[in-house]
Amino acid sequence: MTRFLVRRLALAAFVVLGVVVLTFVVARVVPGDPAVTWAGPRARPEQIEAAREQLGLDRPVPVQIARYLGGVASGDWGLSLRTRRPVIDDIARRAPASIELVTVAMVLAIAAGIPLGLVAARWRGRAPDLLSRVSAVIGVSMPSFWLAIVLQLIFFQWLNVLPVAGSYDPGLDYTSPLRSVTNAPIADALLTGNWPVLWSALSHIVLPAVVIAAYPAGVLTRMVRASVLDTIGEDHVRMVRALGFTERSVFARFALRHAWSPVVALLALVFAYALVNTFLVEAIFNRPGLGSYAADAIAALDTPAIVGVTLFVALVYVVGNLVVDVVQAMIDPRIRVA
Amino acid sequence: MRSLRLPVLVIAAAFAVVAAACTGDDDGLGATDDGATQGPSAFTYSVNSEVMIGWDPASGYSNEVIALHNIYETLTRYNDETQEVEPLLAESWESSEDGLTWTFTLRDGVSFHSGRELTAEAAKAAIERTTELGEAAAYIWGAVKRIETPDDRTLVFELSYASPLDLVSSGTYSAYIYDTEASGGQDMAEWFAEGNDAGTGPYTVSEYNPGDEIELRLAAYADYWGGWDGDRYENYVFRVTPEANTAAQLLRAGEVTMVQRMSPQLWQSFEGQDGFETTSAPSWQTLLALLNTADGPLADERVRDAVALAIDYEGIIAALEGAAEPLSGVVPPGLWGHTEGLQFQQDLEQARTLLEEAGYGPNGDPLSLELTYLRGDADEELVATIMRSNLAELNVDLQVRGMQWQAQWDKAKSGNEETRQDILVFYWWPDYPDPVSWFFSLFRTEEEPFFNLAYYSNQDLDAMIDEASVVSATDRDEAAQMYEEMQQIVVEDAPAIPLYTQTYQRAMLDEVEGFQDNAAYPNVVFAYELTPAA
Amino acid sequence: MATAPAHPETAALEGRLLPPGRERGVRAAARRNPLLVVGAVLCLAIAVAAVLAPLIAPFPADAGDATHPLETLDTPSSAHPFGTDQVGRDVLSRVLYGARISPVIALLVLAISCAIGIPLGIAAGYFGGVVDEVIMRVTDVFLAFPALLLALAFAAVMQPSVTNTVIAIAVTWWPWYTRIVRGQAASVAGRPFVESARAMGIPHRRILLRHVLPNSITPVIVQVSLDVGGVILTASALSFLGLGAQDPTPDWGLMVSQGQQFFTTHWWLVTFPGAAILFTAAAFNLLGDGLRDVLDPRRVLTR
Repeated sequence: MTRFLVRRLALAAFVVLGVVVLTFVVARVVPGDPAVTWAGPRARPEQIEAAREQLGLDRPVPVQIARYLGGVASGDWGLSLRTRRPVIDDIARRAPASIELVTVAMVLAIAAGIPLGLVAARWRGRAPDLLSRVSAVIGVSMPSFWLAIVLQLIFFQWLNVLPVAGSYDPGLDYTSPLRSVTNAPIADALLTGNWPVLWSALSHIVLPAVVIAAYPAGVLTRMVRASVLDTIGEDHVRMVRALGFTERSVFARFALRHAWSPVVALLALVFAYALVNTFLVEAIFNRPGLGSYAADAIAALDTPAIVGVTLFVALVYVVGNLVVDVVQAMIDPRIRVA
Repeated sequence: MRSLRLPVLVIAAAFAVVAAACTGDDDGLGATDDGATQGPSAFTYSVNSEVMIGWDPASGYSNEVIALHNIYETLTRYNDETQEVEPLLAESWESSEDGLTWTFTLRDGVSFHSGRELTAEAAKAAIERTTELGEAAAYIWGAVKRIETPDDRTLVFELSYASPLDLVSSGTYSAYIYDTEASGGQDMAEWFAEGNDAGTGPYTVSEYNPGDEIELRLAAYADYWGGWDGDRYENYVFRVTPEANTAAQLLRAGEVTMVQRMSPQLWQSFEGQDGFETTSAPSWQTLLALLNTADGPLADERVRDAVALAIDYEGIIAALEGAAEPLSGVVPPGLWGHTEGLQFQQDLEQARTLLEEAGYGPNGDPLSLELTYLRGDADEELVATIMRSNLAELNVDLQVRGMQWQAQWDKAKSGNEETRQDILVFYWWPDYPDPVSWFFSLFRTEEEPFFNLAYYSNQDLDAMIDEASVVSATDRDEAAQMYEEMQQIVVEDAPAIPLYTQTYQRAMLDEVEGFQDNAAYPNVVFAYELTPAA
Repeated sequence: MATAPAHPETAALEGRLLPPGRERGVRAAARRNPLLVVGAVLCLAIAVAAVLAPLIAPFPADAGDATHPLETLDTPSSAHPFGTDQVGRDVLSRVLYGARISPVIALLVLAISCAIGIPLGIAAGYFGGVVDEVIMRVTDVFLAFPALLLALAFAAVMQPSVTNTVIAIAVTWWPWYTRIVRGQAASVAGRPFVESARAMGIPHRRILLRHVLPNSITPVIVQVSLDVGGVILTASALSFLGLGAQDPTPDWGLMVSQGQQFFTTHWWLVTFPGAAILFTAAAFNLLGDGLRDVLDPRRVLTR
């Protein structure tokens, strides 16, 4: 087990290093002068030069790479050209809200995907299966930015039952101010017992979470269906059937248990995917979070911030994969040898 | 799988019901908020983007201006309706015959938010710090050689060349008077960056939440020299709502008092509605297309004229549905020096003839031009699209590129002439109420191009620019006459095509009385001057 | 993604005696795979729309340079079934012409991904050792980036255009193919007949072309058909963000982004192009699902 762990860690470390170098390379190629961004759009030449020095852009490129790598390792991810604060602070401040959003979306996706997949497998070939598969296909083919706008149109503009933007009603800042513990609105509201904000935050998270959940729900439906169908075809299940157990109890006993396995495998993949999708969704729903921070950074060509966010998401992905691999290895010893 | 499906469905249904029920009040859908959530008579301004980009009045060059003009004051203030400079911190002023000495008399009884009294010394210290720092628009004080303070109320500026200091001191940027001793010894720039204010204005900072939707709260400064009698807004809240639909909804619900900007279509939905008021006024943000007069096909004046005649100006204005109005010359309406009757009109026949004369026509060479505009700006994109379509009718291929500002600028200033674009579309507005800004920055001969990205060089015009600047210090009317002539030259030579000037379309609750946009202070709402009706 | 081993007996259990991996006749296959048929028909419809756009579209010039500033934002009517946009162009015509862009981008991206991914995967799987390690580590680094993010970073760097969209997405897409092919190539390379072929002195090239390549192709085909939908979504997300096709190209993502500021007052600008994206991605996904069910030798359960 330790051998496996060490090997996976070494691999992960290598990948992270590669990610850092790659993002730096990408950042260097960005057009536009960070010094000009820093100094402002109507800055005079002397001011731009001063900014260049301040940002360390006058050093040779290898030195810049070395400084950057060193910085990343020690927690200095540079200063955002736009907010003028350390990128790592910005990310730490903004990430919890996005993670909360993605978590809620994943819960919704699981709550929808697993039942749908089970239904599809249970009544394979009949109407429920077909309907399930069609909704899965729609979920997987849905452009998230479009779904977001359409849901806003239906539920905000036409039906007027859900809010269009924000993470909770800012008017509550007067009547029931939210104390920040984690910087994630629902979590904070729960932790501080702030019920008005909790209700408001929940109503604000419905649409964005549904939008992000669409794709994972679709993928999960298919995976669960496939996994269950494979499982109930296996030998030991055949035997149970042969012993006279009804299809229904076979299903309940074996299929459900095995439905969870693809979910675990898929979690890391889909979590990172969802995190990236928060880009579009947070911008459209005007929610403060990592996604809108990154969208602003891209619009402003705020290179350090873009690099920082990319790095962060990639790290989450790598760490997530690592965790999933370890968990799966703990469950299934065969994997360790791979 | 019944055993699993049902509970899931029940939970989902319950959730939906709860969510729908709870959105009823807290989003103010339908119900008008009585202001209880905003505190006593608060003016809530819904703005498009983060307000406090910077806090230092000496270096602020961005959006924070809409807050700074309520926290700080300038010596004078420009009135774009009367086109006159009005007293603010200075009660009166006069200049010498040659325009080289300006004497300002300060108002009595003005104090900074720190409690310190406003004296000529204090004002001098502020201006000197601004000029020493040399950031933002500090150059507007460039003519000032020395400032004298013969007594507590008198400021005497001695200039090295004639300059209209009454206009300079009413500037949008870098003209604020602030208390240089407010930081108590700490470096002022640092002190400002911590979110402090050192102004004399009617409002002072009471709360700052960077990055939050309710970013900034200002409260009335009790000892403001103007006093607080009558009905006035005692609180000023800045709420950042980039999403125009949210802003509109908040306005409908009465949760904000005024919205800075929404799409023309949304604005129209408030026009004539009970409970709301809408205003529309021209700004000084002029959209210009700078034409590369140095290299490429546009070096030929006939081709420039052809391009100018090809554009469907009326179509552009129509498509923008009220967000813009036609521009005559380069100086916008409301600014002294504005001249009517210099508008370009579309004339495709004439354009075609000119192109043929220049050698590009059905029998001549094919013509391809490159245009850049600011990526992300929907209005500029619309203009570029229509221009491309117009030029296509003349068989001119217009390559349109949306680029970040820096990238556009680098491209235009490139040492390699091949790289430079043919047409650069951007907004220009002055740092203080003086038409010289367009001419000095855009049309004056430059060795190293900075903003004269048309590479235009006209010695006669250069001379006129210098002269007009001097004359404006002493004889405003004569200067206005000169600017009319200068605009005629620019329209003739066509180094730039004036496309339109933006309009400010504001929607607000009808409780607001006395609102008028002042184009000299873009997007600034002077809440002190408004009266909240009962 | 791993799939479970096939069990022919299970098929028998269901009352059908199917030889593993083979369909019996097209019509039977069609009946067993209604989704494949639907997918194929929809894809065909899209292809027809794309090819015949100049003939079907009521205002073909609107997909190009034409603008009509006096007819902006018209509600859908008989003259303009999908309304007009912010410069007066007919939305229906632009949506039809858009069918020429998204699927083509997807096919280009996948062609490039295969062109890069397949050779690399084969090299890694067949030769193994250091070559394998190096190639797979590099692949892992690219895989660590979610595709959209890397494509975003690249697209933000380069001048936005259709070509650069293709490049940006292809750069992030090829690793999957390397992985798939490597697995296949490795399993083929490990077979005894390959060893004996090497022993007999048959050159690598022959073995690769004759045996490794053909055996690796099927999962690639399946993956390609499944990926088309994904690439279309990624490409439209990029153009929605302004990093892809530029005006006047009637790219659906671009149209949604341009219509966004009007969506409460003029809903049709956003609805129709977005529905087109959904429709096209779904069509290709159905096709891909169906193909996978039919072609995947490891999946006998054809439902």
